[in-house]
Amino acid sequence: MATAVEKGASGAAVWVDDRLGSSNFIKRSLNKVFPDHWSFMLGEIALYSFIVLLLSGTYLTLFFEGSSREVIYHGAYTPLKGIPMSAAYESTLRISFEVRGGLIMRQIHHWAALLFMASIVVHLMRVFFTGAFRKPRELNWLLGVGLLVLGILEGFAGYSLPDDLLSGTGLRIAYSIALSIPVIGTWAAFLVFGGEYPGGEIIERLYPIHILLVPGIILGLITAHLALVWYQKHTQFAGPGRTEDTVIGSKVYPAYGAKAGGFFFLVFGVLTLLGGLAQINPIWLYGPYDPSQVSAGSQPDWYVGFLDGSTRLMPNWELRFWDYTFSPNVLLPTQVLPGILFGLLALYPFLEAKLTRDRAYHNLLDRPRDKPVRTALGAMSITFYLILLIAGGNDIVASIFHLSINEITYTLRAGLFILPPLVYVATKRFCLSLQRADDELLHHGIESGTIRRLPSGEFVEETVPLPPQYSVLLATTPERKELTSHGAHGDHPAATPAPRGFFRPRGGVIEPAPEKAPDGKELEGTVD
Amino acid sequence: MSDSIRDRLKAPAGHGEQAGGGDTSRSDVTSGDFVQTDSRSAHGPGQTIPSPSATQAGDGGTGLVGGGHLSDDPKRAKRAEQAVAALFLLSLVGVIGFCVTFAAWPYEFGERYFELYTPLLGIFMTLSLLGIGAGAVLWAKTLMVDEETVQMRHQLSSDPKDREATAELLKKGFEETGLPRRTLLRNSLLLGAGSLAILPVPFLFGFGRFQHKERVLAKTGWKAGSRLLDELGRPVKMGDLEIGGAKTVFPDVPGGRRLADSAAFIIRMRPDELKVKEDRKNWSIDGHIVYSVICTHLGCPVKLYEQQTHHLFCPCHQSTFDAADEAKVLFGPAARNLPQLAISVDADGYFVARGDFNEPVGPSYWERKPHYSEPKYNAEAGS
Repeated sequence: MATAVEKGASGAAVWVDDRLGSSNFIKRSLNKVFPDHWSFMLGEIALYSFIVLLLSGTYLTLFFEGSSREVIYHGAYTPLKGIPMSAAYESTLRISFEVRGGLIMRQIHHWAALLFMASIVVHLMRVFFTGAFRKPRELNWLLGVGLLVLGILEGFAGYSLPDDLLSGTGLRIAYSIALSIPVIGTWAAFLVFGGEYPGGEIIERLYPIHILLVPGIILGLITAHLALVWYQKHTQFAGPGRTEDTVIGSKVYPAYGAKAGGFFFLVFGVLTLLGGLAQINPIWLYGPYDPSQVSAGSQPDWYVGFLDGSTRLMPNWELRFWDYTFSPNVLLPTQVLPGILFGLLALYPFLEAKLTRDRAYHNLLDRPRDKPVRTALGAMSITFYLILLIAGGNDIVASIFHLSINEITYTLRAGLFILPPLVYVATKRFCLSLQRADDELLHHGIESGTIRRLPSGEFVEETVPLPPQYSVLLATTPERKELTSHGAHGDHPAATPAPRGFFRPRGGVIEPAPEKAPDGKELEGTVD
Repeated sequence: MSDSIRDRLKAPAGHGEQAGGGDTSRSDVTSGDFVQTDSRSAHGPGQTIPSPSATQAGDGGTGLVGGGHLSDDPKRAKRAEQAVAALFLLSLVGVIGFCVTFAAWPYEFGERYFELYTPLLGIFMTLSLLGIGAGAVLWAKTLMVDEETVQMRHQLSSDPKDREATAELLKKGFEETGLPRRTLLRNSLLLGAGSLAILPVPFLFGFGRFQHKERVLAKTGWKAGSRLLDELGRPVKMGDLEIGGAKTVFPDVPGGRRLADSAAFIIRMRPDELKVKEDRKNWSIDGHIVYSVICTHLGCPVKLYEQQTHHLFCPCHQSTFDAADEAKVLFGPAARNLPQLAISVDADGYFVARGDFNEPVGPSYWERKPHYSEPKYNAEAGS
């Protein structure tokens, strides 16, 4: 049987190769080497979540009706019987209660969207802190920022489609934000919504945007993103034999491919578990959208939360001049702020290269501590973002901790300006002292625990030079490279494989070679 | 992390063997562990780096990327194979369970045990996916040979000669088109092709109905004489509300219940609690006062009413208004008072509006004039 299969496979391969000459390409691709590090799987999670989104979303489109036509509910969910609602909301109820596998698909879809955005953000941080965005990968950074922004828009569109009370409130906020744009605000808002809110057309318009337009663009950008990773080859951390000119890792076929393929199913499995057991967005509890109704604790999905937070923290500035009204209280936190944040994010690789006058190629990743300013800038930005995110849930924080919402708001408002600079300074100091600790390891070696008494009576602790497979990890600056190239027991660093591990080197503890004291007097006592 | 390295280095010897997967971990390294695989490389073929096993004694750092540890220990390999097979078969179980549940379990709201439908589907689906996923990863990590391989990076930038040749080619082709010389051709092309950018603009006009923006945004469904209908469509009359009570009301016009800008909130408090200025003296009756529920910040319904303090609270961005004092902003990002609806009582004792709100309702917009629809209440109306 095996021979029959083999025969068939080679027959098919010959057939294809006769027509496409694909063997060489396939050979090269299967032999491609990918470096391995746990942090490289974050982007994979985003990719796999997106595939799950496409699969679950396709199923949902078969049953969803993207229409704001008003209907009276006569479906299976008794508490809402006889209530007028939009066809979009009704079909979402039908998916939840009358379609086999409908509710689990809805919940998988929602969880996958949350995970998609979360993994993009964490992946972004990985790329930022390790300097993976540097030349020649700036284009891929831009593609990534584009994906982040599109992901937020796509998520918001999807969140709005069921036309429940919560999402309708979100849409009304979006409409009001559009209104606040100077000069063209009313035009823009009426254009998008088809007239004064609710306009009656927004669901009809969001639906094709959500299921066709934006996912199509995202798919294209992801393809380009991966193609660039493939073509430019993945970055890797410093290590034995790893230079700017080499990639060390496993070949795509078979083990790496098996692991990556298996990881897809693991991500998918976690999402189905969440979709099956963890209820999310129970729109039947919120009720259909009604412009005069609202529920307490209105929250957007997490990836929009930081903008909700900035809106909540903003003082109520509004200007009137001549016959016009200008609303910085809406415009600044909802449009100017994200414009600046995403703009700086997109430009960061170019700004850094310009300010550090760095024009070199970089295929080796930085350890965050070795770039204190960048790391501190990153930590500062994360602090700023987190304060906004907390502010987006200030009512929840207030009710959980029984605090005054006004005081929380004032505190966060102050914190937004005070904390990031403090975090910047602290992170920078922290990086520098970590660097110093590394230097010490390189210069003085490891404390061996052996105490020796000198003829003069003085006690000193023996140190052992850092084994080369570790010192090469620390050789991230020219000075350190200099240090490690001498005295590394005569071994070429490349001859020793990198210690491997999840968070820390694994593959065995290095036993310090016990160095005899020169005079052979190994003295009293090993201190534990 | 330096501390962690230090700790590891200081730890007693002996752990290494366990951590590295025992003494079996070395021998899978086949000859030429570091293989040059990229035939496109600019660095020439055949470069190899000495085998790590030649220099590294001891633990698991042997150049294997985690795989292949067991393939020469038949017993452990067998066990690993069995574990992988068990995981793969778990998928089969999951799929069968999923199919049976999907087809046979009651799933419609109200049916017996319907609430278990989605969790059961989730569990079986998860088993089917995690089985394959975990099996594949375990397989790769234990049974597949996975050598650490070195590949050279190719130079990304092109050869300077190629660059020049390409630039030359582009330039030559451009000259061959005649564009640099034939200015008429060039200018007409720029104009003609440039005008295509305008082509989509007319489509935009189809997206929004032409509306008189100011009038549409400034006016609501309220008219002089409109009764105040509650959520069930019943007109509200004097005495329906207790002191401290409040109700959402809508204008008595067709479809008034669904008008997004017209919802209002009638509140009753003790007349002495209400701070009424001279110019709004006739706008409220006997402690009954009506405000728009649409937040002047971003349009959420401001409906959380605190009777003790007379605060109206918006759940979206926490703007807080003082219902006892013209709905002034007490806190939050809203910049303006909630618009007020002047009311009176008709002959049958029902509340009626005396006109539209005193200001455009809802969020600000560029053309918003504070007094666009300044109501011209006459003193006799409603009496």
